[in-house]
Amino acid sequence: MSRPAVVIRFDQDVVAYLPGAILAGSFWLRGVTTDEVKAVETSVLWYTEGKGEEDMAVHAFWRTSAEAGEWIAPNRAHRFETTLPQTPLSYSGAILKVRWCVRVRAFLQGGREIIGQRGFQLGSLPAVESVEP
Amino acid sequence: MSHRLPEADAPANPFCTRRIRPGAIPFWFSAGEDPAGLIGRFQRAAWRGAIIGPHGSGKSTLLAALLPALKQRGMHVAAVGLHDGQRRLPRGFAATLDAQATVDAELSTQHASKTSTLDQPCARPGPALVVVIDGYEQLGRLSRCRLRWLCWRRRLGLLVTSHGPVGLPVLFRTGVDLTLAQHIVAELQNGFDVHIDPNDVARLFPRYGGNLRELLFRLYDLYEGRQRKSE
Repeated sequence: MSRPAVVIRFDQDVVAYLPGAILAGSFWLRGVTTDEVKAVETSVLWYTEGKGEEDMAVHAFWRTSAEAGEWIAPNRAHRFETTLPQTPLSYSGAILKVRWCVRVRAFLQGGREIIGQRGFQLGSLPAVESVEP
Repeated sequence: MSHRLPEADAPANPFCTRRIRPGAIPFWFSAGEDPAGLIGRFQRAAWRGAIIGPHGSGKSTLLAALLPALKQRGMHVAAVGLHDGQRRLPRGFAATLDAQATVDAELSTQHASKTSTLDQPCARPGPALVVVIDGYEQLGRLSRCRLRWLCWRRRLGLLVTSHGPVGLPVLFRTGVDLTLAQHIVAELQNGFDVHIDPNDVARLFPRYGGNLRELLFRLYDLYEGRQRKSE
C-alpha cells in the first residue's frame, strides 16, 4: 500500500480567485483504509509567514467523524465549497506573506495523523518588487 | 505523528518565524550531553535550577527539548514565558499552581494508601509539578521570592532560564559558536534553494555577538533579497 497522503483538487484551475468567488473542490485519502480513519477535518484558512509574529484564521471548517456515526470512505472524493471573503488578499511581501490554503487533517487510529494542504491565491495584489537588505 | 506539508506549500523563506522559533530547531547538545543527563542534574539539584545564557543562545530551545522529557517522567509542567518588563507572573498563575499542587498531593495520598510502601516507596521520583519560567530575570525580586517560597512549600520543581545567575543552581550554560551557527543555517536550508553559504554566516556572525536569533532574522532578509534577484 502507498504511503498515507491526502490529495486535494480544485474544480477550477485558475491563477487567482477573486474575492467573493466560489472555491470548490474535493479531496480523498490515499494509502489508508476505512477502518483506520477516525475523523477528517477540512479547513479553508489564511495564515501569515515572515519575520514577525504569525497569525491565522479559519474561514470555513467541516468535520466528519466516524465516532459520530458518519461514514468516511477514504478513497472516495469528499466535496468542499465556500464563498471566499473580501480580505485578506494573498500577498508576498518582503517581511510578511499572507497565504491561503485548503488544509485537510485526517485523524487515524493509534493517534496517527496525516495532513494535506493546497494553497491558492485570493486576489491579485502584486508582490513586492525589490528588497534591499 | 504527522507528515510534512507538501513542498508546494512549504514556506518561501527557510528563516521565517515558523521555522526558527524555539522547538522548531532542535537543540544541538555537545558530545556527552543529552536531555536525560540534564534532567539528572536537575534532580541532583533538588529539582531547582537555571539555564543561563545570553540573548538568542538557545535557552528557550533547550527548554522546549526538556519539557517532553519531564512529562515522560509523569510530571506536570506549568510553563510561562516572560517578556520585556514583565515584573510579575500572569494574574492567577500562582493560584493555579497552588490548586494543581493540592490536586496532585491528594492523588499521591490516594495512590500511597493503595500501594505497599515496601513494594513501591515512591511511584514518581520527583515533584508532581514543575514550574518553568522562561525569562526569569524579568521578574521583580518580590515575585521571585514568592515563587520560590511557593515551590518550596508545595514541593514543586522550579526550572528557569535567565541571562545571568539568579540564585538557583546553574544546570546549563547555553552558547552558540560559528561552527554551530553554520550548521544550523545549512540545516534550515535543507530542501530549499541555497542562497546563504558558510562564508555569509562567518561574515555576519561577529556582528551579532553569539545571538543566533538576531543572526537568523538578518539572514531572512538576505535570503529574501537574493531569492528575488534570482527569480
